[in-house]
Amino acid sequence: MTAAPAPTMPRQKPPRDVAAARDVAALVGRLLGQAEHGWQQLVAAVLLATFASGASVALMGTSAWLLSRAAEHPPVLYLLAASAGVRFFGIGRGVGRYLERLVGHSLALRMQSALRLVTYDRLSNTTLLGRRHGDLLVRVTADVEAIVDLVVRVVLPFASAAVVMIGASIVLSVFSPLFAVLLLATSVFAGLIVPWLAQRWSSAADQRAVPARGDLADQVREMARCAPDLVAYGQTDAAISRLSAVDAELRETESKSAWTRGLASGMQLVSTGVAIAAALLIGGQAVVAGDMLARNLAILALVPLALHEVYADFTKAAQTLTRARTALGRVLNVLEAEPVGVGDRAVAVEDTPDTELRLKGVTAGWPDAEPILRGVDLSVAAGESVALVGPSGSGKTTLAATIMGLIPARDGALSSPARIGYLAQDAHIFATTLAENVKIGNKDADAVQLSTALARAGLALDPERIVGEQGATLSGGEAQRVALARVLVGAELPELVILDEPTEHLDQETADNLLDDLFESLTGTSLLVITHDENLMARCDRVVDLRPWVVAGSR
Amino acid sequence: MAGAIDRRLLQRATATRGFLVAVAATGVLNAGCIIVQAWLIAHAVAGVFDTGRLDFDGPLTGFTSYVFAIIAIFVIRGVLSWLNAWLAHRASAAVKSTLRTDLLAARLARPNDTSTSSSALIHLATQGLDALDGYFAKYLPQLVMAAFIPLLMLAVVLGQDWVSTAIIAVTLPLIPLFMIMIGRHTKAQVRRRYQVQTRLANHFADLIAGLPTLQVFGRARAQLRGLRLTEDASRTETMKTLRIAFLSGGVLELLATLSVALVAVSVGFRVVDFQLDLTTALFILILAPEVYIPVRAVGVHFHDSADGTAAAEAAFEIIEQGAHRQGGGKVAPPDLSRAEIEFDQVGVHYPGAALASLEGLSCTIRPGEVLALVGRSGSGKSTALNVLMGFVAPTSGAVRVAGIDLTELDMDAWRRQLAWVGQDPGMLRGTIASNVRLGYPEATDAQVRCSLDRAGGQALELARPIADDGEGLSAGERRRVALARALLRIELGGAQLLVLDEPTAGLDQATEAMAVAAVRETGVGAVVVSHRPALLALADEMVSPGPRITAAQAGELVDEAGR
Repeated sequence: MTAAPAPTMPRQKPPRDVAAARDVAALVGRLLGQAEHGWQQLVAAVLLATFASGASVALMGTSAWLLSRAAEHPPVLYLLAASAGVRFFGIGRGVGRYLERLVGHSLALRMQSALRLVTYDRLSNTTLLGRRHGDLLVRVTADVEAIVDLVVRVVLPFASAAVVMIGASIVLSVFSPLFAVLLLATSVFAGLIVPWLAQRWSSAADQRAVPARGDLADQVREMARCAPDLVAYGQTDAAISRLSAVDAELRETESKSAWTRGLASGMQLVSTGVAIAAALLIGGQAVVAGDMLARNLAILALVPLALHEVYADFTKAAQTLTRARTALGRVLNVLEAEPVGVGDRAVAVEDTPDTELRLKGVTAGWPDAEPILRGVDLSVAAGESVALVGPSGSGKTTLAATIMGLIPARDGALSSPARIGYLAQDAHIFATTLAENVKIGNKDADAVQLSTALARAGLALDPERIVGEQGATLSGGEAQRVALARVLVGAELPELVILDEPTEHLDQETADNLLDDLFESLTGTSLLVITHDENLMARCDRVVDLRPWVVAGSR
Repeated sequence: MAGAIDRRLLQRATATRGFLVAVAATGVLNAGCIIVQAWLIAHAVAGVFDTGRLDFDGPLTGFTSYVFAIIAIFVIRGVLSWLNAWLAHRASAAVKSTLRTDLLAARLARPNDTSTSSSALIHLATQGLDALDGYFAKYLPQLVMAAFIPLLMLAVVLGQDWVSTAIIAVTLPLIPLFMIMIGRHTKAQVRRRYQVQTRLANHFADLIAGLPTLQVFGRARAQLRGLRLTEDASRTETMKTLRIAFLSGGVLELLATLSVALVAVSVGFRVVDFQLDLTTALFILILAPEVYIPVRAVGVHFHDSADGTAAAEAAFEIIEQGAHRQGGGKVAPPDLSRAEIEFDQVGVHYPGAALASLEGLSCTIRPGEVLALVGRSGSGKSTALNVLMGFVAPTSGAVRVAGIDLTELDMDAWRRQLAWVGQDPGMLRGTIASNVRLGYPEATDAQVRCSLDRAGGQALELARPIADDGEGLSAGERRRVALARALLRIELGGAQLLVLDEPTAGLDQATEAMAVAAVRETGVGAVVVSHRPALLALADEMVSPGPRITAAQAGELVDEAGR
């Protein structure tokens, strides 16, 4: 699956596949500002990471000096400082690494929280009802997690390694400036250039892997969703071989990327070998010429070995960076999208005298797209029930969103009662108690209102029962009854209730029982019923066909 | 470390055992190179140090030969590391692929089992199994390397200096020991915290998924405050978990580097006392960290592979469930245009379910007749169809076709005689036409068109593309495509029995009744589940699964349904 979101998601800029480094940096900076002690924690984490990596390089360098100095057989006193240093660095590395990981994760999690809040805030301000958003909502919850990888696996290791490389070169320049320059060159090559090259070489394969992964997911979803159809029609083997084909393609891209990773790590090793060879050649000549003390030669030769460990994982970090940029690019697309509609519905405060719904020449459509319906004339008198029918995609839910004021009418006159209830076919059941789920309809509902609403919706369940993802799952009929209870729980009954395909996906018997209770509990309320169900149309006073108002080609 | 899962994963690895061994072999060769490299560096540095000249007497002649030898060794190590990455990939790729296909084959072996949601299955088949790379490409070879390399290096060090050997030999086993002790001690705590943490983390996903619902009630923005609170709580819990979880990694690193420091200091003081020369000392110093690296890497890769083994465990569970259903017999099924199907006290009770899904159903499906299953929702009508299709095996009683038990029949051949329409039919990606053609792949466009028209799908264009999950098609349109599929299979594919599950509410059943009537005209029978009088009027016989009811009660049910 590519990063291109559903075409109906609006934005000022064209959507991107991978976020530009500058945009990611700006996002990171913004989140650092929003997270509590963000910048301080970043500095602390980089310092600790530098200390931990630096300690292992220093351990090698100090040990090398200690052995060489010892070989000059001085009084033991001269070795005490160095041996204390060796022990200090030996302990420091482990402790430093542990602390760095804690501080780094604490920072990364704070930034993730900040990103989640920003994303939620953004999405809650754009009207989502009835929009085709594909898997955008599902994906965004996973995409924000990329910020943790970015901080822990990319920012901290690269920042600390840069400090350690430069630091090591500066220290060694005291012994041999020429070698220090060479060491910096080889470590920049092995630590930055090689990972970057590897990334470029494997990017074609990685890009191909993205749609291949999407295909694999689609194939699995299809096999899970259509298993009975596939088996009943003897398609088992065909489906498995389609899966194998996608799998083989994915395997090939992975093989290419493993090949490149291996090549990169080989080049890093060769570059370390060159640094050690240079240390021996330059250092050896300096010793012979009397420009450098013989005991310092071991330092020059052993430091590159320790430095190698610091950047050995950077090829993987570069790949993590690419993945994070792809995921964060999608998040940025959401953050930068122009909001559509009002997001939250304004819940009626003032009482309008209207008890009737009247639409006169209303043009309905999403603010960022062509209108879907034009010149809609529709009225629902007090207590009347009207069925609204039309083929799929003819804008029935868009019209509902317009009536509820979630998006503005593009043209025409619309007047509606103050209190409108809405009962959707796919009302979300939150992972909490039944009571909390119902209270979404009225956050101030007391126990009496709650139990009345539950009883009238025909739900004989314990209000404190946990439902949704983590709790006992509700049947389709029960879920619709929760949605009904949300409409009924208000202090006053709504004057108008919009029912959006209330029986879709229910079996006939369950649907009939639900409709009996629904019509009984909403007696006296005006109903606008969006439906395909002829049974349901028959229960309404009047049927209105949307087709004459559908704008040609809008589908 | 869970033994059972390791054993099962190893059995899977038979095909790639060669690659696994090769990965470990490159690792051991690399260790050999490291020993040579240490020896070369130590001799070169100490030679210059001792003589102050570049043309000192040593095992190699000339200082440049040391330099070139070192470069050569690193080039060899580079090539080995390249090979290692590629071989490691090969070692896990084949295992992953077979697990993937086996997983989905098992899913298809239980077509109507939805106990694993499709999103969970997608996650398992993609990221889940990908995480097995950590196990096959890294953890397993590292385990072999950790067994060989430290011993090899210790033996080399022992030849030079027994004190360093002793220090290493004592500290090295402490690493796995401490890891296991810390792991044992914190396991329960980590798991409990992990559960709390997951619950809190899911709050965000739940809110995002429910946003359209919240907006309709004007409650979306109000949740921001609650989200902030759970985010804070979730982070606090996560940090508590991490403090413990990182502990074993921290101790591992501390022990390894501290031991190297101890070796360095001890060697240093013995150099002062003329007990060791510089060459030996440097040689030991360079080798010391390398002894610990393989053992440390096992610890790191063990954690990396945890996701993969967890996924594998979940995959094995599904695969094993599927294996129970693989069965099916070899007997060629009797011709349904002549043979009767007899349900004899058939019951289905899913393991773990409180109630049986179907109990004691007895009936006979005769060639060319229409049998209607009626009854309240939940009485097992759809389950009876699933048994007939061979999707589930009866847990009590038996289905016999001309006296032969259904479970002994060749299922593929059996299903070729059946034309099935599910309650909420699945649509494959492609076009309307490609979906109808599942019924008879060789059908011409005209034949597809004709069957679609008779299924009430006159308005559906053949070339209309179908995206994921049949998005863009209404429930009614999907049902018509599925009915057209079944009609095609009867007319061209020679199926002898139409199997029609009850459609969801609101679908036009007059068309379906007409299609069933037309099918019966051609002498093909049908089993239908319905409440609707239009279809029931066609039935030659009506049967109600579930609690025994009298004929009068059955009649009542039909009246009630026909209101």
